[in-house]
Amino acid sequence: MSDGLTRRDALNRVARGTVLLGFGGTAAFLIEKADGQVVWQVDASRCVNSRLGEVGVPVCTLCTTECVVQQSAVRAVNNFRECGRCYICPAYYNIKSAVDEKGLPSEKLCPRDAIERQPIGMVDPGDPANNFYEYIIDDEKCDGCGICVKGCKEPLGLGSIILKVRHNLCVDCNHCAISLACPKEALVRQPVADALEPTLATHSTR
Amino acid sequence: MYKQVQVIGGKGEGAHRFGRTLRSITVDGSDRLYAVGDSELKVFDADGTLRHRWPTSRPGYAVAVADDGLVCVGEAGQVEIFDSGGTLANTWRDAERLGRITAIGFVSGYVLVGDAKDRAIRRYDASGTFLNDIGKNNRMQGFLIPNGIVDFSVDADGVIHATNPGKHRIERYTPDDQLLGHIGRFNGIDPAGFSGCCNPTNVTVAGRDRIYVTEKAEPRAKVYDFQGSLIAVIATDVFDPNCKNMDIAVDRRGRVYVADTVRLEILAFEGDAES
Amino acid sequence: MTAAAQPRRSLVVLATLVLLALLAPDKALAQGVQYERPVEVAPQQETIGGGYVTPDVQKPRPREYWLEVLDVVLLAFAMGIAVWLVVSRRSRQWALGLTVACLAYFGFYREGCICPIGSIQNVALSLADPTYKIPIVVTAVFFMPLVVALFFGRAFCGGVCPLGAMQELVVLRPVQVPRKLDDALGLLKYVYLGLAILLAVQPAIARDFVICRFDPFVGFFRREGFAHMMFIGAGFLVLGTVVGRPYCRYLCPYGGLLSWCSRLAKRGVTISPAKELDCGLCANACPYGAIEKNRAVRKECLYCARCYASCPCETSPGAAV
Repeated sequence: MSDGLTRRDALNRVARGTVLLGFGGTAAFLIEKADGQVVWQVDASRCVNSRLGEVGVPVCTLCTTECVVQQSAVRAVNNFRECGRCYICPAYYNIKSAVDEKGLPSEKLCPRDAIERQPIGMVDPGDPANNFYEYIIDDEKCDGCGICVKGCKEPLGLGSIILKVRHNLCVDCNHCAISLACPKEALVRQPVADALEPTLATHSTR
Repeated sequence: MYKQVQVIGGKGEGAHRFGRTLRSITVDGSDRLYAVGDSELKVFDADGTLRHRWPTSRPGYAVAVADDGLVCVGEAGQVEIFDSGGTLANTWRDAERLGRITAIGFVSGYVLVGDAKDRAIRRYDASGTFLNDIGKNNRMQGFLIPNGIVDFSVDADGVIHATNPGKHRIERYTPDDQLLGHIGRFNGIDPAGFSGCCNPTNVTVAGRDRIYVTEKAEPRAKVYDFQGSLIAVIATDVFDPNCKNMDIAVDRRGRVYVADTVRLEILAFEGDAES
Repeated sequence: MTAAAQPRRSLVVLATLVLLALLAPDKALAQGVQYERPVEVAPQQETIGGGYVTPDVQKPRPREYWLEVLDVVLLAFAMGIAVWLVVSRRSRQWALGLTVACLAYFGFYREGCICPIGSIQNVALSLADPTYKIPIVVTAVFFMPLVVALFFGRAFCGGVCPLGAMQELVVLRPVQVPRKLDDALGLLKYVYLGLAILLAVQPAIARDFVICRFDPFVGFFRREGFAHMMFIGAGFLVLGTVVGRPYCRYLCPYGGLLSWCSRLAKRGVTISPAKELDCGLCANACPYGAIEKNRAVRKECLYCARCYASCPCETSPGAAV
């Protein structure tokens, strides 16, 4: 064994020190501009189904098909504060379907029947058209296909239903598979507080 | 059958063009067209040339011309009254009752204003004293207006025809707030019905028996008679599909003006046999 | 990998140009329509009446931040234990136990995410793109195993990495890969490293985190995945029965970085240097070809401690200096 520091040992030490310094500097640089926790979220002002100004585009279902989780972590969310509580909701009903004897469209839009419609407030038992209705989307049934989102988009509706990543379901991939496929780059990384806020298509997150 | 005869205005920089918004149009007794948008009022001649324009102190949401030539502009929190030359004659200000005036009409000496904030029509006398609300005396406490505007029109008999888009109908009221009846129903397929969540958005009446309405998504202008039978679809594909709350006005020649709120232009249509 | 990289990269560039051309005017056109909401057009609680209260939109929270920090702490802890077990305690059984425990936690419980291998991409991107902010946790996960490697060798590979653990557990009858072949194949790691960094630093449209996308074992960890990736993962495991840890030795880009750092390590796996029998049992036992002249080659040694278990002179812990 050595009787002191061999040359190789000394060189090694210097090299180690240099590398450590390099690591330290890089790490400090990275940490300085670091974020806290970031998560993936859908930017409603870019998402095809909710972005304003495009009428007549077909529904984009990439959020459903691309997510690595079996039933996509993206779900439709109704921002109740912004909902019109209309008697005939263009996201709930297929307004192009035939009108039944009650004056309501006969078909519903959601292929998984995930939206529930309930009268709220002071309910008029005599005339159903005289009530406000709450439209609640069941998180367990919804798979983020976006059909109702398109139905709610302005000008047809008020744009209160948008697609959002649900973080109790999202596995938080390093690079979201949906973001790879999204034609409008609508999947963005956001700090947790921003990601949880309900946003409208009129509020760009850029 | 209606055909488009003219395009007035448009988006751009010129004096006769609109910058960002085009919110309301009306015609006066001499077939002149008045349009409010941005914070300005423009007056066009019967042939479409810009005749006069003056600024309003706040962005205008509604415009109407009284028989004596006074021009009323509805805004947020106030109504400004100009004379025909554009000089400000009076301002009615009431933050509570004049929340956002999106329609103005006149009936036998009274002034009617539609307040979108409170979802009601208010009746004032000529000096600006508030008299009564119209349309609030129902279970919904007002009109159902998810689109954010109240629109109405007064016919020759003094009956107020107001849109109630949440209920897909046009309701008739007397100035004393008596509901006389309504026409219209929801139908997403039949063009005679009103489709979507909240249509019709705007209304105007002309002649003895004609109600003209505009809808959003898909935007179109239609004309009905007072019984509610569809007379004609005036136009549908010529509007920008993103339009909402397109105001409509009809002059004495039967020419129909519709404001395209996205392209910021006023389209003029003329029909053939119907009046 | 190299053969596929060329057409792939040019495809990527082509796709970038096409997409940019298509998207640029698009962005100007749409979102040019704004709808006004100067008053609350949606009915408020008071309007609806009847004691109705507007429900709040559900906001399910993501995994708590302190749990992510805990993962980093556990990572450091596990590496510390690995070092202690292999350098000090010198026990194959305990090392194996640690490997299984880390596979269970970092692999199946945390589903293999986040891992230092993938963090290469984040760090590279963060250095290249000033707008991309890397979370502190990811920076820590990237540097910690490298720092440990500087001093003690590839402790991460042996004790902690779940991908390594999967392969570690299927080693049955490993063949000794000829040195020249082993060196040549080992170069693939650096190719993959370069490719991964190159694709990670692309602008957003062309960017691709290939390490994550082509992680062979994440499908097993998540219990679901694309069919072709499950196939490839199974393939690696089958291969791993005869060739020790093929992904780790020939493909892992982080392994490339670790092997460079561990060259400078003074301590690490040492095989009874006090009393050498020159029996060569350790070299036979090592499935990874990391023993040369009866010494562990630091940059290759994957910290499995099989050499200790096979050495007749390692009778008790602490027997060797």
